[in-house]
Amino acid sequence: MDVKFSDSVKELIGERGLKIDDVIDIINTAESSNRKLNDGSKNLAKKRIGEVTIYAVYDDNGNVETAYSHRMVLGEIQKTTDEPDPTNWVCVSCNEKAVIGTVLMTYMGVTRSGPAVVCEKCGDAWIEEYLATKTIAAAEGLFEKKKA
Amino acid sequence: MGYEELFPPYDMEWHAHSTRRFANPFVDNKYDRVDVDPVMLSHAAVACGYTIRDFYEKPELGIHCLAHIYQLYDLLPVTHWFYASPWLADLGCKMVYKDTLPPIPESEILHEPGDVDALHVPSPEELYDGWTYSQYKRLYAYVQKNIPQTFVPISYGFDPVGEAAALCGVENFIMWTFVEQDAAHKLLEKFTQTAINGALCTAKDFGSAMLVVASVLANNDIFSDEAIREYSVKYMREYIDKSFRGGAGPQIFYHCCGNHETSYKEFQNLIWSPFTVLHIGYKGPEAFPSDLLVQEYGNKATCMGSVDTKLLINPNPKVVYDASAKQIIAGRDAPRGYILGTACECPPYSLPGNILAMTRAAKDYGTYGKW
Ligand SMILES: [Zn+2]
Repeated sequence: MDVKFSDSVKELIGERGLKIDDVIDIINTAESSNRKLNDGSKNLAKKRIGEVTIYAVYDDNGNVETAYSHRMVLGEIQKTTDEPDPTNWVCVSCNEKAVIGTVLMTYMGVTRSGPAVVCEKCGDAWIEEYLATKTIAAAEGLFEKKKA
Repeated sequence: MGYEELFPPYDMEWHAHSTRRFANPFVDNKYDRVDVDPVMLSHAAVACGYTIRDFYEKPELGIHCLAHIYQLYDLLPVTHWFYASPWLADLGCKMVYKDTLPPIPESEILHEPGDVDALHVPSPEELYDGWTYSQYKRLYAYVQKNIPQTFVPISYGFDPVGEAAALCGVENFIMWTFVEQDAAHKLLEKFTQTAINGALCTAKDFGSAMLVVASVLANNDIFSDEAIREYSVKYMREYIDKSFRGGAGPQIFYHCCGNHETSYKEFQNLIWSPFTVLHIGYKGPEAFPSDLLVQEYGNKATCMGSVDTKLLINPNPKVVYDASAKQIIAGRDAPRGYILGTACECPPYSLPGNILAMTRAAKDYGTYGKW
């Protein structure tokens, strides 16, 4: 896939301390393995690179809409509700509707629970941009403060 | 004279100790002992010689009383002042202050199911200068100036079912959940969206906001498990989800007081964040057993156990001590930590000897390395 970035997306990626090459790598890996979410118009892919999990949102023509990251390591999904809220995402490799679920998150040796988009079939989990850049980022900050 | 002149200097040595202790449940530390949080509000004002009304009418005084009493009782290093019935004034209620109660709406403002349609949900911009949030702006400015070490930005969705019922009358609301379900849901939706807009104000000003949301009126004394799922848990979820989308969180305090005899299982349907505390008040007439709380929720949240609030006004500290010890022993091994609380807000006229019996039990039965 020919991965393309607008200037504003390039700038955002830079501001978030991410590398263009890593984003390209994430998208190529997702495209070759088919491990990604798709909502009919865009894809969400992720990859752990070093100490962060990086996400890319891109359309089927390779135009990157955004990229972001979190430091927490996602683990198993946790069974909570019998009636999970639906999402617009489909897990492409399972062809399964993804839902809002709960996933184990580990940071600085501490494991807790957090919300994520999950595929109940393969057990994979993805964090959407608003959560990664706000709630999860604030949680990482609190862990750092409380562990200090 | 500012209210800060009424209090001795804050004890920073105690603060360092209690801050380290209060980190325990959130980052798996084992320092000192289990914390005690008797869900204190106007008791702190009463204990400093002021009234319940003072606590609510003068937020800066109220929160400084809390900071002072928390040190003396060896409780938490943070402060939280709660404007009872948040957002009701913004939705059109005239709030009246009472000498012996938190402020309440003068009367319900919705009389017929059809009235719900006309209820206006204030935007974040409208709420920002509205009744409820203005008090928090004042309050938080005071805390940041005078006792900044205790500051946590908090936004209260509080009890959606209880607030909705206050808007239309409790009997009406209960009736609507049977015969006018669309109106009941629409009203809950409107209150919840207002509370979300309030949380967005806090998130915008402070970059985060601890979210406090409750299921109080929605308990098994009044509602079935199904009704609690449909009318309470659903809107608690929505409050958290949409507040997160606007940058509030990551901390959540779920306060489920009242009798959750069987409805306690419904809280599985809530949203969990890495900094979530779950508190359940009663199971039938008894304080909710901490072993059951930990068994059901210990792998999702920090568990907050309960001592029956009635015991705190009963002149018998030994009974409080024994009840505290029993809950601590049952809860202290919770995988994500345990906090000893009271089943609901500790009564304004709680006896200091009883609250001190709780911290004494925490020391005797909740000191790490002693069991
Ligand atoms: Zn899948």
